[in-house]
Amino acid sequence: MDLILEQFPIVVRALNVGFMQTLKLFFATLIGAVPLGLIITFGSMSRFKPLSYFTKIIVWIVRGTPLMIQLLIFYYFPGLVLGTPIWGSGEAGRFLAAAVAFIFNYACYFSEIYRGGIQSVPVGQEEAGLVLGMTKSQIFFKVKLLQMIKRIIPPMSNEIITLVKDTSLARIIALQEIIWAGQAFLKGSQGIAGAIWPLFFTGVYYLIFSGILTVLLGRLERKLDYFR
Amino acid sequence: MKKFIALLLSVLMVLSLVACGTKDTSGDADKTPKTDMEYVKDKGTLIVGITDFAPMDYKDDKGEWIGFDADMAKAFAESLGVEVEFVEIDWDNKVMELDGKTIDCVWNGMTLTDEVKAAMETSNAYCKNAQVVVVNKAVADKYQTVESLKDLTFAVEAGSAGEKEVTKLKLENTPVKAQSDALMEVKSKTSDAAVIDLLMAGAMIGEGTGYADLTYTVSLNSEEYGVGFRKDSDLAAALNKFFKDSYADGSMMKCAKQYGVQESIIEQ
Amino acid sequence: MTVLEVENIYKSFGRIDVLKDVSFSLEEGQVLSIIGSSGSGKTTLLRCLNFLEHPDKGVIRVNGETLFDADDASTQKESHIRSKRLHFGLVFQSFNLFPQYTALQNVMLAKELLAKERPDYKAKKKEIYEEIKAQAEELLRQMGLENRMNNYPHQLSGGQCQRVAIARALALEPDILCFDEPTSALDPELTGEVLRVIKELADKKTTMIIVTHEMSFAKEVSNQVIFMDDGRILEQGDPIEVFEHPKEERTRHFIGSIKSN
Repeated sequence: MDLILEQFPIVVRALNVGFMQTLKLFFATLIGAVPLGLIITFGSMSRFKPLSYFTKIIVWIVRGTPLMIQLLIFYYFPGLVLGTPIWGSGEAGRFLAAAVAFIFNYACYFSEIYRGGIQSVPVGQEEAGLVLGMTKSQIFFKVKLLQMIKRIIPPMSNEIITLVKDTSLARIIALQEIIWAGQAFLKGSQGIAGAIWPLFFTGVYYLIFSGILTVLLGRLERKLDYFR
Repeated sequence: MKKFIALLLSVLMVLSLVACGTKDTSGDADKTPKTDMEYVKDKGTLIVGITDFAPMDYKDDKGEWIGFDADMAKAFAESLGVEVEFVEIDWDNKVMELDGKTIDCVWNGMTLTDEVKAAMETSNAYCKNAQVVVVNKAVADKYQTVESLKDLTFAVEAGSAGEKEVTKLKLENTPVKAQSDALMEVKSKTSDAAVIDLLMAGAMIGEGTGYADLTYTVSLNSEEYGVGFRKDSDLAAALNKFFKDSYADGSMMKCAKQYGVQESIIEQ
Repeated sequence: MTVLEVENIYKSFGRIDVLKDVSFSLEEGQVLSIIGSSGSGKTTLLRCLNFLEHPDKGVIRVNGETLFDADDASTQKESHIRSKRLHFGLVFQSFNLFPQYTALQNVMLAKELLAKERPDYKAKKKEIYEEIKAQAEELLRQMGLENRMNNYPHQLSGGQCQRVAIARALALEPDILCFDEPTSALDPELTGEVLRVIKELADKKTTMIIVTHEMSFAKEVSNQVIFMDDGRILEQGDPIEVFEHPKEERTRHFIGSIKSN
């Protein structure tokens, strides 16, 4: 116990640094994947068949393969096959590659949720907008979007909580997020070797963060309770 | 209008795919291939793939990478006239990191196994090591010979020299992700024993560590450390020469003494 | 004055012919009721008038202007359809109110969006908004909903929802207001309030086309009745005539079956 108390400040400092990477990856993914998902949705719902099939195949591939493999492919493929690494060196390059892979992966998942949301808005809403002389984009933004958001918040909340934990997969391309930081003390780092508890302690960070998100998303859900 | 945008989008997507394909072939065809040395000198940095592994590569109080390997790598980069950059990698992916050019060498107390030699261009050996069996102190007396190990279950790092040794001896074993995970297996009693590097065992187990109740007994083999480069890289030969020079002028030994590995250094 | 002329409209979905050679006209301030069994093409006809469907053949003219001519591609430009739709208002069977907006906002929304296209919108933003709001409030008051303006659709009864929908359609001041079975989705005790509102509109000489199953209401309120059967207009004329002395056997049969219900 004394040993842990002694190690605690050093470990927490290292875990904080790792958790910043985790948070950066989390928010970068969210900021990129939320709009990209919408573009993919429009692609897969397009009446232009080649585009719709193409998008659906991409979504199938991305959702049908493990994110871990996608991370490896995104990061190593350019250097392995094209001969030039494109991501830039060091931690920043790894972060960029991880963020791009995460954004792409999550955008595909989000796009399917969006599609469900869009299709769950009754046709009558669009027709009512049309006969009132509204344009398609007015109908989308002023009429359907909020109804769609209301319907997708529960499944999106699930995905977002999953994303918090999925960020740890980025350690496969040696992004030094919090799990990596915790594991470092197992092997030995900063004079602490063979310490198991830091790895388990990372769970506390995940718990607190996903707890905060759950509360915030629940609040958003309640905010849209005013209509049905 | 909508159809037009849709068409445009799909054309763009197809084009980007085609572009990826053509870049590949043109890259191979019209450029005269650069040697690895020229490649590194052109970009001005030698990217060294490492893991946090005292006393070879680890961080000092200021967060700078130090250690016997790290200091030698700095000196080697200086001799080439390039900057050095240390990058922590996932040990499992070291070959992919090299071939993908996200690092230029693996310089991290790497055991020269047949697999490593097949996948990389390796330098001459510069440091001796052994694979040792780690067990609980309480039972250590019973397991001082190779013959006594046959009833134990082992945890070993996947792809490590240790895994090779236990497999050769036909001992029951579980591959885990890292040497540290193997130690955790023993501590949590999910495995009876682990096989790890002697250098690492010296640093990580025994009094004053998180593994105070573990100790190491039998050495299964002796082995040697080397530095790995991309296959056919001319940097390996350059490093061999650098090793020879720095052994001759005593700077290598001086560095080794600083990190307490002088006993293990191999004459160049 | 003739507001609407519909000539030789044909429409089929795949192999099913839904409308076959439908022609009629409507005078300003008059009410036209369209009756007929389900699947006879009444709703499709209304949807064609509101450009939710494109007729395969035929001509639609409003106030002498050709809005649609199947033989003239220039009348079918996607970009013009929006403004053409504004000649018509449509009240749906299932109301189709926007659930996230209050009754008042439902009535105001389309008009506000249209106002944004006015060149003087930026300069007179506030006045325009006040004007639209005053008009919407007046419409809701006419519908007897002065106490419900700030309620959301899910807080309103079906009859109240339908009255909001009528106000919403009226807000754009269409030349012709269309109703697609406006009371079919309502509990029987709520139909009266909606029919009363439509009757008041008729009294104010609002030009209307009403697809309905309420025979006695159709008879009372309309100036003209069309009986449709299997995509054709089988009979049309004065309501008394069609209801009391139908010429066709099928009309007689249909009216008889409705009465006995």
